[in-house]
Amino acid sequence: MEPVAASGFLTARFDSPAIELDDFDSVVRRYWPAVFRFALASVRDRDAARTLTQDCFIHAWRARGSFRGSCAVKTWVMRIAVNVVRDHARNRRLRFWRRTTREALDISSAGVQLPDGGISAEQRMLVSEKVRAVWAASGSLPERQRAVFLLRFVEDMDLLDIAAATGLKEGTVKIHLFRALQSVRERLGETK
Amino acid sequence: MTRHLSSAEISKWIAGERNRRSEDHLSECAECRGELAHFQGRLSDFRAVVRAWSQEQSAAAPLPAWRMGRTHSSPRLRWALIAAAMVVLAAIPIYRASQPRPSSDHSLDDTVLLEQIDDGVSRSVPAPMEPLTTLVSWGSGAQDAPSQQKKK
Repeated sequence: MEPVAASGFLTARFDSPAIELDDFDSVVRRYWPAVFRFALASVRDRDAARTLTQDCFIHAWRARGSFRGSCAVKTWVMRIAVNVVRDHARNRRLRFWRRTTREALDISSAGVQLPDGGISAEQRMLVSEKVRAVWAASGSLPERQRAVFLLRFVEDMDLLDIAAATGLKEGTVKIHLFRALQSVRERLGETK
Repeated sequence: MTRHLSSAEISKWIAGERNRRSEDHLSECAECRGELAHFQGRLSDFRAVVRAWSQEQSAAAPLPAWRMGRTHSSPRLRWALIAAAMVVLAAIPIYRASQPRPSSDHSLDDTVLLEQIDDGVSRSVPAPMEPLTTLVSWGSGAQDAPSQQKKK
């Protein structure tokens, strides 16, 4: 089985993605940050994100035998992560807790982490404000648009990888991304 | 120069839906290029902040022992344990049925012992004191009757 060259995710390091799965501990170490980041940005609850990340790797461990190497391992892992996060979002039993915890965790505390780049305190505050606006806008996006938006602009995945990770066609990914961008730009007041 | 790109066209461009007109316009319009770069800069800032924040949160919640989870939740192991428990439960009555029943000699011994205990409990006085009871009832026994008649 040949990996999909167009996906381009870390395929250079491994001749075959299936071989990469042989050392599953290193797969966990390598992709844990990305899965946790995606889960955290999706559910905005650290404990839930941690649990979902763990669930994702347990699912991956169980399903590793069925992985045929048709895509990169990261794409495959992210596909599982997308499904786990989606199931979590649809779980009505947790809806109440999601509502209460979502308010508890905010990205504003990370404003100080902005790259310095010689900007003034005033500019830094402005950028932080814009980042918070993007964060708030992405949080109010519909589930699928948010997933696509985060995979593209936080995980830096290309459209083909996003299509593979979400199970959507490339054209559909573009449509979701376009709608998400329009919503975010409206929130930022950057639409004409 | 063609008309400026609309907001939707800029969003489409960033989303990867690109066309010749947008490409041509961007190559000659600094204003639209600036607007595009400005929004892409916002997205880059967003990416940087989310990554830094996630790293911070991840450090607060380090990688758990996921191996434990995968071992304990293995469906094969779970089914094997259930099957073993069922075999043990099914074996208990069979084992009991296969055990030899207690012999009748033992039950006879038990009966004799119980009778001895009943005798002991039903005695009004302990066995060593029984001769004394005959002395106490001397005056009221049947042997006194002739002497009482003589007195009369």
